[in-house]
Order: sequence, then structure tokens, then C-alpha cells
Amino acid sequence: MAATTVAQFDGHDAVAVRYHDVDPVYAETRDIRLLGFVLFLVSDCVFFGAFIFAYLYLRVSAPTWPPVLNGHQLPWFDTAFAALNSVVLFGSGVTMHFALENWKHLNRRKFTSWLIATIVLGIGFLLGQAHEYSLVLKDVSWWGTTMGASFFTLTGLHGFHVFVGVIYLTTLLIQTNRGVYTGSKYFGLTAGTLYWHFVDVIWVALFFLFYLW
Amino acid sequence: MMTPELLEKSLAFVGAIIVGVTAIVQLRNDWAAKGLDAVVTKLLLGLMAVGCVLALLAAINVVGVHHAS
Repeated sequence: MAATTVAQFDGHDAVAVRYHDVDPVYAETRDIRLLGFVLFLVSDCVFFGAFIFAYLYLRVSAPTWPPVLNGHQLPWFDTAFAALNSVVLFGSGVTMHFALENWKHLNRRKFTSWLIATIVLGIGFLLGQAHEYSLVLKDVSWWGTTMGASFFTLTGLHGFHVFVGVIYLTTLLIQTNRGVYTGSKYFGLTAGTLYWHFVDVIWVALFFLFYLW
Repeated sequence: MMTPELLEKSLAFVGAIIVGVTAIVQLRNDWAAKGLDAVVTKLLLGLMAVGCVLALLAAINVVGVHHAS
């Protein structure tokens, strides 16, 4: 069966043909690429894990937490704003999931809308994080204490991932408009969705460790 | 009076319910899906729902109410 172009199914609500039914060669390479991408996510998980365990070690071995600097105990981070910003990021995960589902169901317009919503929410999270940094830096420097170093390293690393994700999703948006992906060949969209969910889940751990624990 | 903190927590509360319920519904819809991408997606959706529960609990001051140790 020939691959269907994007323009042909625009606006229709039919279920997409599964890639395995379309092109065995593509299906095989897709599975290999998927495995490679999942292994990349696992390696990224280990990368974050190393920093998280360093933070746990520093926190557990500290006599007081938050640490005392120049005779003053440092404040806790703002839980209320972090909870709101977390919901923004988790919401972007749901919109990205909707985007991929609409692509699979050949609703290109809805796909585009949900993908744009995801990008906007991702940018919103980054702006929220920048606001959070501006508040935290009044009390906690990134170079002065283990608390600040851990916080800015881990959340900064995560923020970088979100930034890369926003660029990735924007690229996907441009590519879909140019007809790079079809109803049966859309590995890039699957990988983008997995990456974005991964970024969400890493934030679950960071949100718990820095704001709730 | 609506303070900024109360407003943030209220928005987080409502948002966490909406996003969390949606994530769980999507997880249920995709439950029968097979394949590596489907398994990873289900795992990540589940963990995202956990994140929503954490945000919800934080919004109603069940967790994240700190005292210096």
C-alpha cells in the first residue's frame, strides 16, 4: 500500500493505517530507531540520576536543611508557584499526547492546534522557571551553597531539556507543514512525544525533591 | 482576601485535577495498546498522573509544608 500524503487526509477522521501494514522495511527501521531512542532516554535518565543522587547525598549528610549561611538559615523554595508551574508542564504533556493521537487519527488541524498548545505551555514553563530563578537568586546563590548548587544544576539541566524540547517540537511543526510525515510514517512525532513525556516525568522527581520533601 | 500564593495554589489545584484526570483517561484508553512506544508512553503517562497528584496535594498544603530540620 502506498504511503498517504499529509494533504490527502487533512480534515478526515479515519483511523490511520498502522505502519506495519504499510511498509515492512520502514517498520523494521522504525523499530530499531525506536529502541535507540528509548535507550537514549534511559541514558538521559541515568544522567539525571547521577545528579539526583549527588543532591540526596548532600542533603542527607547536611546537619540542617536548608543549610545555614552566615548564621541565617536559607529559606525553602516557593511550593505554590512551583505547583502551578508543574501543572503547566504536565498539561503540556497531555496536549502533546492529544497531538499525536490526532495525527494517528488523521486530524491534521487538531494535531497542529495541540502541538502549538504544547509549545506555548513549554515556553510558559520556561518563563515560569526564569521567574522562579529571579526570586530564588535573592536568597540562594548557585555558587555559595550545596542547596543552591544542587537546585540550579538540576533544574537548569531540566530547563535545558525543556528548551531543546521546544525547539524539537517547533521543528516537528514545521516538518509536518512541509509534509515530511505521513499517516503511516511518523516516527519523529512518536519520538517527540516520548521525549516530551520524559521531560515531564523528570520534573515530577525534581518537584518532589526540591519543593515537597 | 486573595493573596498571590492562594491564587497560585487555586490554579494549581484546578489544573492538577483537569490534567491528572485527562492523563488517567488517556492511560485507560491506551491500556490495550501494544509495542515499545505504547509501553513507554503508558509508563510516562502514569508517572505524570502521579505528578498531578503531588501538585494537587501541594496545592492543598498536604505536602510541601516545610519546617527547618
